[in-house]
Amino acid sequence: MSLPGGVGPSLRGAADAFVALAALGACAVSAQNYGGTLTVGLPYDIDTLNVYTTATLGDVESAVVEGLLAPDQDARYVPVLATEVPTLQNGGIQLTENGAAMRVTYHLRPGVTWQDGAPFTSADVKFTWEAVKDPHYLAESKDGTKEVLSIDIPDDLTVSVNYRTVAPSFASTLFTFGILPRHLLAGHDLNHDPYNEVPLGTGPFQVKEFRRGQYVVLERNPHYWRRDAAGQALPYLDRVIYKLIPDSNTMGALIRAGEVMLAPRIPFMLAKQLQGAANIALVSGPMLGWARLDFGFKRDTPLRDPIVRRAIAQAINRAALIKAAGGYPVAIRSPVIPLLKDLFDDSPDATVPDFDPAAANRALDDAGWRRDADGIRSRAGVRLAFGITTQAGAIDHEIAEQIIIAELKAIGVRVAADNKTGIAYREARYKGAYDLLYGHWVTAADPVYSVFYGSHGPLNGQGYASPALDAALARIESTIAPAPRRAAAAEMQRIFAQDLPSLPLVTNVSIAAMTTRLKNFHINPTNMTDFVDIASWYLAPLPTEAAAR
Amino acid sequence: MSVALLLRRLIGTLPILLPISLLLFCIVHLAPGGPLEVYADNPSVTPEALEQIRIAYGLDRPLPVQYLLWLKSMMAGDWGYSIRTGRPVMVEIAERLPATLLLGGSAMALSLLLALPIGVLTAALRRSTIDHLLTFLSFSGLSIPVFWLALMLQLLFSITLGWLPAAGFETIGDSGPLDRLAHLAMPAVVLSFATVASWSRYLRSSIVEVLKQDYIRTAFAKGHNFAGVLIHHALRNALIPVVTIISLELASVISGAVITETVFAWPGIGRLFVESMEGRDYPVLMGLMMLGSVSLVLANLLADIVYAVIDPRIRYE
Repeated sequence: MSLPGGVGPSLRGAADAFVALAALGACAVSAQNYGGTLTVGLPYDIDTLNVYTTATLGDVESAVVEGLLAPDQDARYVPVLATEVPTLQNGGIQLTENGAAMRVTYHLRPGVTWQDGAPFTSADVKFTWEAVKDPHYLAESKDGTKEVLSIDIPDDLTVSVNYRTVAPSFASTLFTFGILPRHLLAGHDLNHDPYNEVPLGTGPFQVKEFRRGQYVVLERNPHYWRRDAAGQALPYLDRVIYKLIPDSNTMGALIRAGEVMLAPRIPFMLAKQLQGAANIALVSGPMLGWARLDFGFKRDTPLRDPIVRRAIAQAINRAALIKAAGGYPVAIRSPVIPLLKDLFDDSPDATVPDFDPAAANRALDDAGWRRDADGIRSRAGVRLAFGITTQAGAIDHEIAEQIIIAELKAIGVRVAADNKTGIAYREARYKGAYDLLYGHWVTAADPVYSVFYGSHGPLNGQGYASPALDAALARIESTIAPAPRRAAAAEMQRIFAQDLPSLPLVTNVSIAAMTTRLKNFHINPTNMTDFVDIASWYLAPLPTEAAAR
Repeated sequence: MSVALLLRRLIGTLPILLPISLLLFCIVHLAPGGPLEVYADNPSVTPEALEQIRIAYGLDRPLPVQYLLWLKSMMAGDWGYSIRTGRPVMVEIAERLPATLLLGGSAMALSLLLALPIGVLTAALRRSTIDHLLTFLSFSGLSIPVFWLALMLQLLFSITLGWLPAAGFETIGDSGPLDRLAHLAMPAVVLSFATVASWSRYLRSSIVEVLKQDYIRTAFAKGHNFAGVLIHHALRNALIPVVTIISLELASVISGAVITETVFAWPGIGRLFVESMEGRDYPVLMGLMMLGSVSLVLANLLADIVYAVIDPRIRYE
């Protein structure tokens, strides 16, 4: 196994030791590693345990509910309830004669049962589509339902999905999220069904108890279909207890006291405090997401001038941002993060300008932006003075914002913080009520970039519109053959680097704190969470138990 | 106060709740954003799906209509459904109430138990070393932030000594009284720390004020000893302002302690309020704030009753 990149320098040693230990463990998980209870700390309150209605990530759901496919630790899709990932090569994806639509065929794994013993069949897959697309069902995550025209189920183990268009991102939606049990839910009102509290899945664990505001207890599914390399039944763990701990200091105390054995996605500050703590390992890996500085185009400011945007791009030193975040994030200069190997293009004209304050100063001088007595540049009475907006209270964001303010001051651009709390921040972002905006985006394993940068993208609040970029985005999002898709992605990155609607800064990093006893744990970079692979995790014996043997 | 009078007072408070509810409704809706904004960061959420939810929860209607509809169903005993969880608001609140009552009630009892003797003692021994020491502690209690005190207690009792669980309501699978007490100890102490400080200060100054009165001098002149005068003559009269403070605090026993509940992962009303506020879960917010308003109104009524009990001069017609 390998750890994804981005392990902070100070953690490198610990991470290497972890890799070595885990590699040893993965070779032979002996019978004594079965059993045990893993306690997990989650920093948020759970609204529902239904993947289609929750507003939070599915850390619990991923251990209970499975989809046909799932993204692995490298954000590549692997088969779960399907026997293989459909592709053009294996005939799983077939384009229609005119090439305008496609048909995706899944072969389902035989012998899989729901946690109540009922068989899992193609009817469940079809039911999932029908249930989620039903207008009476108030689910937020309906992505991927509209594109499907019909579903054929010739037998219990075959599902053919007929799409209206060519939809390359089919794997990151509906059937990957999770399959709903038809025998339990058909004819029910899903909005108020007990399923939302106690979901039934095919996964390695089943929900035993959910106490709101307190905890969720999962127990091992004795009928789980997956086996390890040695042919032994999975999962290894007996129980998983998720404790809901809203305060990050308390989370730190619980980790130190051993009451929480695994805490995913902890803040940088907490990771720093836990460094060197006995029996605690920190694991980090990149997330499918990035921090960026957006330019607002809805207001008439000098930011509409590409020369000014380019100068700002050259004023930002990503190394300073990374240092402030504990050394964990990784610098990027394209909205396509390097982890997405099928789309990423690192040629110089496909990346935004790097740190070069001298060039920035020269360019602004040449364009007639002269420094006033206070060092801030102006031209014909217009000053290079802007507001920058980020989410108030998000400490990592506010620190990055302060660094950007200082760096822009160095090239004669005055930036003042105009931060807003949670929902007011999102509203400003939606409406484009800002000059500069610092924020993070997180995507699925197959990102759809037009939602952010398309002229009509639902998350394009900045008012950016480029017909050329729209065309490139449309090509990426309607091409399934790898080579032309890659070419379209390169074209998109080139236009982006030329236009500079936004500056990609660093990739988001996920840090987990865990007991050194937990083995086989990996960071999963996608929105399916680390728990998608929980079946293979196990607890090494306590040191005293090991000595007694 | 007669029962009829009490009933009259109770019924008299009902009209107050109507403008309160209108005010709360306006405040809740004046805050920017709405319940669907939490999905704004999620690129997989389609605008059509959000529009469906907006219509289903009536969020597309004009605000006055939304208020009247809410008022109508509230009167009929239907508090609506939570937008976050899809569950009835009544259930959401009823589930969190016991934890909040337990924590708030224990903290209140602890506060009374400590504040009364400290207040009396510091007043009786004023300007002594004990007074200075307890005064110092009181001011510490008023100035130490709750979350810091909580963190220090967690460090000492959970991490260093390992005596108490750092957070949570109960050990899963063991909800016996001892386990409950172990989980309750730190949050209750933290919550009562500032209250003890404030109440004992009020009581001290109130007693000191009363001790200057003529009737106290008369009582001494009649030959009563100091303790007797303090307890029988001064304390009862000094309690009136303190009762006001305590009764106001009583309302917060029901509306929850946001910071303490968050730091100790206590599943109470305070945390539900924060979660609902962050998610702009209007039905739950309105339910919680109405509950808070009702308890405040009732606490005021209770204070009036207690005044009459303590001070026979106070009579209600």
